[in-house]
Amino acid sequence: MFKRTLVASGAVALAIAIALCAPVLVRAQAPSGTATFKATVTDTATAIKDAAEAAKAAAAAASNWTPPRTPWGDPDLQGFYLSLSYTPLERPPELAGKAFYTEAEALAAFKKAVEEDAEVDPRTVHYDWKEYGMDAWQSPVRPNLRTSLVVDPADGRIPALTPEAQKRRAAARARNPQVSVQTLDNLYTRCITGNQGPPRLPFNHDSESQILQTPGYVVLILQSNNDVRIIPLDGRPHLPQNVGLWLGDARGHWEANTLVVETTNFHHERNWRGSSDGMKLTERFTLVDPKTIRYEFTVDDPATWVRPWSVESVLPRIEPPLYEFACHEQNYGLMNVVKGAQVREAEAAARKK
Amino acid sequence: MELNPKYPTPKWGGHRPPLQWAIKTVGAVCDRALVIATIVTLCITATPAAAQAPAAGLFPAYTAPRAIDGKPNLNGIWQAFITANWDVEAHPAQAGPHPEIMGVWGAGPGGQSIVEGGVIPYKPEALAKKKENLEKRTAVKATNDPHRYDTGDPELQCYRPGVPRANYMPFPFQIFQTPLEILMVYEYKGAVRTIYMDPHREAPTDSWMGWSNGHWEGDTLVVDVTALNDHTWFDRAGNYHSDALHVVERYTPISPYHLKYEATIEDPNVFTRPWKISFPLYRRVEENVQLVEFNCVPFVEELMYGPLGLYKPPSR
Repeated sequence: MFKRTLVASGAVALAIAIALCAPVLVRAQAPSGTATFKATVTDTATAIKDAAEAAKAAAAAASNWTPPRTPWGDPDLQGFYLSLSYTPLERPPELAGKAFYTEAEALAAFKKAVEEDAEVDPRTVHYDWKEYGMDAWQSPVRPNLRTSLVVDPADGRIPALTPEAQKRRAAARARNPQVSVQTLDNLYTRCITGNQGPPRLPFNHDSESQILQTPGYVVLILQSNNDVRIIPLDGRPHLPQNVGLWLGDARGHWEANTLVVETTNFHHERNWRGSSDGMKLTERFTLVDPKTIRYEFTVDDPATWVRPWSVESVLPRIEPPLYEFACHEQNYGLMNVVKGAQVREAEAAARKK
Repeated sequence: MELNPKYPTPKWGGHRPPLQWAIKTVGAVCDRALVIATIVTLCITATPAAAQAPAAGLFPAYTAPRAIDGKPNLNGIWQAFITANWDVEAHPAQAGPHPEIMGVWGAGPGGQSIVEGGVIPYKPEALAKKKENLEKRTAVKATNDPHRYDTGDPELQCYRPGVPRANYMPFPFQIFQTPLEILMVYEYKGAVRTIYMDPHREAPTDSWMGWSNGHWEGDTLVVDVTALNDHTWFDRAGNYHSDALHVVERYTPISPYHLKYEATIEDPNVFTRPWKISFPLYRRVEENVQLVEFNCVPFVEELMYGPLGLYKPPSR
């Protein structure tokens, strides 16, 4: 049934996608102010059908749409948005050379991901995700024509690490990094930052966010760890290079309807996917229809990757509000992770003897 | 209305300030809208009253510039310059813990009370608990029992400060004001709170920074803060509250560079009656001033996890 819907919406959706240079099959499904998804849907077939129908509605909504403005004249991006996708960051090897699915393939891939997501393995499950509404497909995640979120290089893969970066990585892995808080490089487990970067990659929980604007500023509030990025728009210089920040030092400006954010001054211990403190991040936020931000970023870090690389994803609009995320306040998960790793390492050492 | 004799209702003790003169003169011949427009213009452009410093503690009548919705514009970076984070009541300067290595760095400044009447009206048993807190203020006991918070000052462990303490930590905070929500971002720990103006929202559960709904009373932003958990303290001196804490804050612009901050604190489990605090918040006016991230989690990992053997890699 959803196949027929898809065909009906296909021509329009594709035309819009090409026009926006953002081949995203589906953006959003309804005018602002209505529910973004049916939280009570627990049937995968129904959910997929809803997603396909959303494509048709979004294509119609986006065809003659211009973004609103704040009273002081900036494009108005304000609202709540989710960072979540079934599209892999890097293109799977079996799809080498294929940057885009056909629409039928995109929907089949989406269906496969939804069904895998909904499967419960009784040996590993801690929650029944479906019961608690935590499957990704119960959120506004939609099919995507892209086969990877990485759009540059053209092979959809993150570029090779430089020799310098390979040495850094090898040194960091010289011993099990989980055996102490000091060496654990997962900043999210340590509650130093949340799971939303910068830059933002899809994450299967707590990837909600809010954009708030006042004259001269855009503020990005992330549900995860309640990280806040304050983005001044007044053209002021970055902080001196020696001032390293876990979330970096952001500066923004508008290019037509797109918010462009350049972030530098990353903390030297931050190590985002192996990055150095010289990483320069450029993000672009564009409201492409009433319910969707197109989110693009480019990572430029010559000490880490042999060339810059870029990602494109979408942030669908969700309902407010955000909630407090007090992560470090009694981080017993961290204590248990590290203690467990120490026990395992001691056991391994005993077996060697 | 007067909460604190240190900040009386604005009086002008010296020469008539140009701003007041302008208001009166214009007001005599023009309608009310023009008067307001003129005040706003003067405040934005010339701020002549500010150029002429008033006597200490005294401010001329002041009407704040307007935000897009016609409400007073509180946007900016603000900071309290008082010592209440060490003790909200009056206190002498004192050495900090481990003066043998910390010297003056660890020492705390003396200061005057921000509490109306000087002293917090504790119930007798609660006063005993406060004294016990003071004794144990540097205690740290990290545990994987999620219900244990019976240790020392939460600030020492980089926990969120709660309300009202966030407003008088020795760090700036930034207000982002929209008609529907007012966001406060604190440099300390990057703690954040949203004040829901329209619509008001119901607290889902207790939290460290509580749940804030706001409204305007004239030029005063009034914030009703509920759903605060019982883990935060008011200061390093062990002044505390229970989860029945209810705080009503009032933010009133009193000059281009000052907000008057007042809060009424109510907690029938701990205090015999509601009590009030007040102090000024100062605008940070440096060129390009910004919050500089104070992410204190890495600073406390050894303190908290070291005693459990989890901080440094175990030797092989």
